[in-house]
Parts: sequence; structure tokens; C-alpha cells
Amino acid sequence: MAMKDLQIKRRLRNYLPNLPSDILKIIIMLIFVFPFYWMFITAFKFYNEAIQTPPTLWPVNFTFSNFTNIWEMEVSFTRYFINSVVVTASIIVMQLVIMVPAAYAFAKRDFPCKGILFGVVLVAFMIPGQVTYIPIYLMMAKFKLIASLWPQILPFAANAFGIFMLRQSFKQIPDELIESARLDNATETQIQTRIMLPMCKSAMVTIALFSFVSHWNAYFWPLVMTNNEKYRPLTMYIEKIKDAEYGLIWNNIMAANVILVIPVLIFFFFASKKIIQAFAYNGVK
Amino acid sequence: MAEIRFEKVCKFFGSNKVIENLDLTIQDGKFTVLVGASGCGKTTLLRMIAGIGPATSGHVYMDDKDITDMDPGKRDIAMVFQNYAIYPTMTVKENIEFGLKNRKVPKAERERLISEYAAVVGLTEYLDRKPGTLSGGQRQRIALARAMVKKPKVFLMDEPLSNLDAKLRVAMRTELIEMHNRLKTTFIYVTHDQVEAMAMADQIVLMNKGQIMQEASPEVIYRDPNNVFTAQFIGTPPMNVLDYTECQVGFRPEKVHISRESHDAAFARTGKVLTREMLGSETQYKVLLDGVETPIMVKTADDSYVFEDNVVLSVEEEDLYFFNNEGARIRKGDVADFDKYIRIAGGKNNA
Amino acid sequence: MLNNTVTQSNLRRRIKLRSYLTSYVMILPAIIFLLIFTIYPMGKLIQLSLWQGNAANAYKKFQGLENYRQILTVRREFKNALINTGVYTAAIVVLLISFSVIFAVWMQKDRKINNLAQSAFFVPHLVASVSCAFIWSWIFSTDTSGLMNAFLKLFGVPARNWLGSSKTAMICIIVMNTWKSIGYYALIILSALKSIPAEIYEAARLDGSHNSKTFLKITLPMLSPQLFMLLITITTGSFKVFDSIRIMTNGGPGTSTQVLCMFIYEFAFNRPNSLGLACAGGVMLMLILILITLFDFKSLEKKVHYQ
Repeated sequence: MAMKDLQIKRRLRNYLPNLPSDILKIIIMLIFVFPFYWMFITAFKFYNEAIQTPPTLWPVNFTFSNFTNIWEMEVSFTRYFINSVVVTASIIVMQLVIMVPAAYAFAKRDFPCKGILFGVVLVAFMIPGQVTYIPIYLMMAKFKLIASLWPQILPFAANAFGIFMLRQSFKQIPDELIESARLDNATETQIQTRIMLPMCKSAMVTIALFSFVSHWNAYFWPLVMTNNEKYRPLTMYIEKIKDAEYGLIWNNIMAANVILVIPVLIFFFFASKKIIQAFAYNGVK
Repeated sequence: MAEIRFEKVCKFFGSNKVIENLDLTIQDGKFTVLVGASGCGKTTLLRMIAGIGPATSGHVYMDDKDITDMDPGKRDIAMVFQNYAIYPTMTVKENIEFGLKNRKVPKAERERLISEYAAVVGLTEYLDRKPGTLSGGQRQRIALARAMVKKPKVFLMDEPLSNLDAKLRVAMRTELIEMHNRLKTTFIYVTHDQVEAMAMADQIVLMNKGQIMQEASPEVIYRDPNNVFTAQFIGTPPMNVLDYTECQVGFRPEKVHISRESHDAAFARTGKVLTREMLGSETQYKVLLDGVETPIMVKTADDSYVFEDNVVLSVEEEDLYFFNNEGARIRKGDVADFDKYIRIAGGKNNA
Repeated sequence: MLNNTVTQSNLRRRIKLRSYLTSYVMILPAIIFLLIFTIYPMGKLIQLSLWQGNAANAYKKFQGLENYRQILTVRREFKNALINTGVYTAAIVVLLISFSVIFAVWMQKDRKINNLAQSAFFVPHLVASVSCAFIWSWIFSTDTSGLMNAFLKLFGVPARNWLGSSKTAMICIIVMNTWKSIGYYALIILSALKSIPAEIYEAARLDGSHNSKTFLKITLPMLSPQLFMLLITITTGSFKVFDSIRIMTNGGPGTSTQVLCMFIYEFAFNRPNSLGLACAGGVMLMLILILITLFDFKSLEKKVHYQ
């Protein structure tokens, strides 16, 4: 059909000016992703190949031995891995339990001093760990909690950002819904779990995601809150390898990094569009 | 002032064909209204004239100059958008000035034009305000002033009144008509509201699914529709159309004579009143005729009938319209045996 | 009759009180945690900054405002850290805002390649700072396996000690953190860009405005609220930088990359009897952050409302 030919020619003509820009885009994308690529392939190289020049873009001798090496090192990474998992999971669970009723109350219920109490949430929003850690450390030391995972979990149980976001989300649910549920004799818990939460799924997912990424990747906080390797998470394990007997063994270090990075990347791979949406549309406060 | 001509234009969105092989000439200086339901292609045509939604193939001419691929800014055309599209971060004055500045109009001339047209739309005291502080009607005036100040050859309007409340809409309607009478420029106006179209247009172009159903003055479209679609699109309530095996017969609710005794006319039937809507100067009845499935709408000044009344509806011969089964109009001069249709209407042909 | 109205209003009051009680119960855990782990530490930090001590005994000797005098005038370390942090912040703010806008505009159209680009640029944000720091440390390293020098050698550019030279160490940190966060901020700007109605761009074309003019006069002003938010977020974020610097340079070489948080960390537990100084530094950091956020709120009230 002549029409189709015309269309194809026109489409091609319309695309051509984009070509140089697209090529540049691809080049920059590759440059951006390259460090991770480099990390990945190094994790599967032997030490000699890892440090050789000129560097190889694909392992000539592919190996899993780095992973077994770091497993068998003096302090195996399983302990660190478990710590990361336990800490992150506990934080998310505690945040959920604490955050939901609070956000609901601030959004839909009236009570005296509501403004001041919400002000507490807002102030907490502003103040980061780098400011609060010294007093918290002293507090934890006094209660003999330093030798445990609690200092990494408890301070984050109340997520000011989460309360703020969830409150926004709850506010958008029409009051009539709640009133008619009350007329049906629903308890407050039922209202929250069966009405409000299902309607705010995306906000909840966003908050959980932010929390997961932020605490799984945490380094500073565990650094200052632990003084025993037993309680340290994966992020600190990587640093430990650096100081190990052999010094900067890049292939081992990268193997450890791969393990740290993989869970987040797996999530991202499966839900990238949703994750990007979550971070972008809720990113700024 | 310019004439716009479409020659065999087609518009595809991906593989979706919206307009195919359309020819249309929009007369110079007239107020032409493109009207039709959503998706009929009217806004698509408008955007082709503006250059912001170019045709997939075909040509658009302005006064015989081919503008099909010309840059929108160089076409000497102004457009008022449905949502006004005013620049929110600029003041009213800067909004109106923007196009002039881009054309390098000297400052003195700019100031003169701005104060002239701001006065015309009644926004002189608001020149230093930001659009966010103004009402919907005022924002629309900014859009109008911005369009007028360019002194374009053609004014395009894409449903500019649809976001205004009813009262304001009616007021703005007359203002736009006055504007057209004063400026005498070509106005091309898009709407889905047939009342608006009838009230404002010198020429109506009725569209459906990318095709032009009829192109004529409001009077002609009302009195002499070319097809069933046109007949039923214009007029509230729409024309009653009855289906027969050989043809379709139509008549307008305003032309139906309602009475209690039988009345001799080309079309006469008995029936019962189903609903009654009192509209003030007129009353609208829905009547179910014996032997006819579709209820008939009647619009009359007589408000004496009530629910379940037995009535006789009759229509004179000159108020009957005939259409073939594909919907095209059958006029007296078209066929040899025109009386056959009248007989069918009268029920005397037992078909 | 009268009896009924009295008991009725009593009943109503009790129902109201019960409702308040339920609400308090709902917010109680959150408020308790926030008070214990945010509000109380703020006060405690100020108190600690008035004493001299260490981790074992924080209240050895009362100093009053002497600690503040020390860090602001006598000891060089704090001022140095402040300057380094300032330099870092300024560079990051300029780089991140300009590049995220550029990238966002570049990735604006809804095409497959742009969706891919959004993901590609965003990934570094999800990866731990420490991991990113390790990878880039290696890229910048002076070993034979250091990619940066190997890459530059191809162009005949001589190798440099990137992380070991006080002139270039900060640059490396800035590069790493810019790379990490561009995608995230670009996405935020992108969502703001997409909320600009297409009609405005069409009206601009009809007004004879072209790409760069439309961008400067229409797009950018419409983005200004988001850009402002970004400015605040990036600034407060960059004052907290720690992880990447610790891994890549640990404050060195010398003290050229010692930032505020490293100063606090160093003085808190790694030196004898300097806990008070660290806390004074912490209070300064707190003040800076509060000031920035207050400035943010104030300006927000003024700026908004052009819709």
C-alpha cells in the first residue's frame, strides 16, 4: 500500500534528527552502568586477572571461588548477612506497626494538642542520625544494649517521613467511608486494616521501599553503634575485608559488594517502573 | 482575513485512522464552527491549521499558500485553547506581550497594542497580576487578548467556553460574536455543543468519525439536513425518526401537532402520553403511538395534556423528511415516485 | 427532664474523652520513640557540648561555652571541616541541579530509550554508598588495575594519584556522589516536567517561541518550586556526607577531605576527652540544618501559588 510506504518514510525522516542524541544517550548510559558491570565481572575473576593491565572486559577464567573464599574467611559473611536481614526486616515491621495508627490518628481523628504533637513529627523529620548518635550511643551503653542489634533497630522504629507521607495518603480518603464503616460497627483496627490500608497500598509500598534501601545500605549508624563484629551488618563486612591480612584484594571485595548489592538490584529488576514512580513522585519530602 | 483550504488531508495516530481524504474550504471572513461529538476529528483539523498537529498526508492552504509544513509561529494564526494555556509564571501583561516580543515588535508599539486590547477585554486593571489570582472567565480573556493582539489572519478557538459556568458561557458567546462582527477576521470555532454552533456560526461544518456530514449555514442545516445524522444532531430534542422497510421518516418535535380529536394530515397517529416536562414557554411530551415502538417527542406551547391522555399526533407533509436506509436524504426532486414515501408515512402503503 | 439533659451531656463528654484516649493510644508509640530518639538527643547533645569528657564519663569537667570557642577559634580542625563541607556542598548543589535538569529534559519524551535511560541513571542511587565508594576507589586507584589511569593512558594523559593528592581527592568524592544521585534528582524534575500541560508548549510555539526560549522563559520558571525543593534537599543531604568519604579517603590526604560529620566522628570516640568538642560540632551541624529547613518553610509560604 502506498500509504504504508509513505508512513514508513515519514517515520524514518522524523526519527533521523534523534539519532546523534540517542547515540550519546546510550554512551552515557553505558558509562553510568559501567562501574557496576566492572564490580560484577571482577567478583568472578581470579586475583591475577582482576588486577592485570590492560583490564579484561569479561573474565577469561570465570570463577565462583571468591564467594567461597569470603565465606571461609576468619569471619564468615553469613553472620553479617543475617544481621543485615534481621535489622532491616525488624525496622520495617516495627515501622509498619507504629506508623499506621499514628498516621491514621493524625489524618482522621481530632484530639487536643494535635498540632503540637504533629510538630514533634515534623521536627524529627529535620534531624538526622549524624546529630543524634552521640547521645543515643551513651543511652544504649547505659542500658547495656550495645552488645546487641537493638541500637540499630529501635531508633528507627518511628519513621517520621513515613508518618508524614501516610498521613497525606490517608487524608485523601473521604470521611464518608469511615463514617459509614462506623455505622456498621467497625472497630478502629478494622477501619485501618480493611479500609484505609488497602486504599493506600502505593504509599505503603513507597515507604517500605525507602526504608528498605536506606537501612539495608546503612553504614554510618552501625559503625557508631557497634563495637563487636558479631552485631555488624554486611556494609561493614566489606570494610572489614579491606583491612584483612591481604589488603586490597579487589576480587574478594567486589564479591562481597555483589552480595550486598544483589537484593536491591533484584527488587529493582522486577519492579523498576513502579520503583522509579515511587521514588520520583514521593521523593521530595 | 484568509481562506483556509484542506486538500485530501489524512491523519493517523499510529495505526488509528482519524481523518481520511478530507476536502474542505473554510471561507474568508466568516465565523465557521466545526461541530461534532468527541473524537469526530474537529480538533484534529483545527490543530492542522495551527500547525501543532500536522497532517499525516495531504495539504493545508491559507489563501492558496501551502502552509502544511510551515512553522506554527509564522502562520499569522492565533489560537485560544480549551484550558486557556496561559503562562502561569508570567503576569497578564507579559502573557499578552510574549508573542509580540518574539516577533520583535518595538516597545512603543507593544505598549500601545497591549493597552488597546487589554481595554477591549476589560483587563486593564489586572495587567500586573498573575493568572493564578484571577477567575476562570478572566483567564479566558487573557487568552483572547493574547490572540487578538497578534492581529492574525485567522482566529482558532478550541471549545473556549466549555470550562466556564453556564451564565458566563452565554455572556461570552455574545461577546465573541460581537468580536467577530467588529474584527471581520476568519473565525474557526470548535465545539461539541450544537446549541453553541447554531447560535454563533455563519457556516457550520458537522463532523462524524472523521467525515464531514454537512457543511451549510445554521438555517439550512436545521431546515434541510442532508442525512439522518445531521437531522438528529441539531435540535433539542432531536428529530423523531421512524424506521420503515423502504425508508426512514423524520419530523421535528416542534412541528408535531398534538390534539385530542383526529386531524387529517400526511402523518397522523393515535397514542398515549408517557411523560410531560413543563419547560416554561413550552412543554415537552413523550408520546407512545399505537403500533410504533419508538416513543415520539413533541414540543408545543400547549401544556394541557397529562400522563396517560389519549392523543392524536399529526405532522403536515411539508414538515416530513425522508431518508433512505443508509441515512441519506431523499428530496422531492431526487426520485420519480416521491409520493410513495408520503404514502408510507401516512400508513396507507401497508408495507 | 433536667436530669436527662445533664446525664446526656455527661455521656457525650465521656464518649469524647474516650475518643481522645483512643487517639492518644494510637499515636503514643510513635511519639514515644520520636521523643526518645530525636527530641531528647537534641537536648542531650546541647548539654553534652557544655562539658568535657569521653564515652566512659561524659561529664568530667564543666566547660560552659568554652568548647564552642575552641572549635570556632582555637582548633583548626572544625573550621577546616566546615570549609571542606562548604566546598563539597557548593559543588554538589551546582552539579546536581544543573545536570538533573539537563538529564530530565533530555529524557522527557515518552520513548523506550528514555525509559531505559531513566532506569540506568537511577540504579546508582539504590546501591549502598559504601559499595559505590569501593568501586570508585578502585577506579581511581594508582594500582595497575586502576581504570581511570588506564583509560587516560589511552589518550596519552599521564597517570595521577587521584585519591592521594589533596587537590584531586575532593574532586573524586564529588564525582562519585554526583554520579550516584543524578538519576534520582533527574526523576524528580522529570515528574515535574511531565506535569506541565502540553497546551502551554503549543501556545508558545504559536507565539513564535522556540526551544531554548521556551525552556528559559516558560519551562524553567514553572519548575522553580521543584528546583527550590531540590536545592534544600540536596543541601541538607550534603551536609551529612560521611560514608563515601570514609571509604574513599578517610578524610585524607591530610585533612583535605575531612568534612563536618567526620570531624564529629573523629572527636567523639577516637580521641581522649574530646566528646564535648564533638558535641559542640554536632550542635553546630544541627543549627545549620534547622536554619536551612526554616528558610525552606518560610520561602515556601511566599513562593507557591502561581497555579
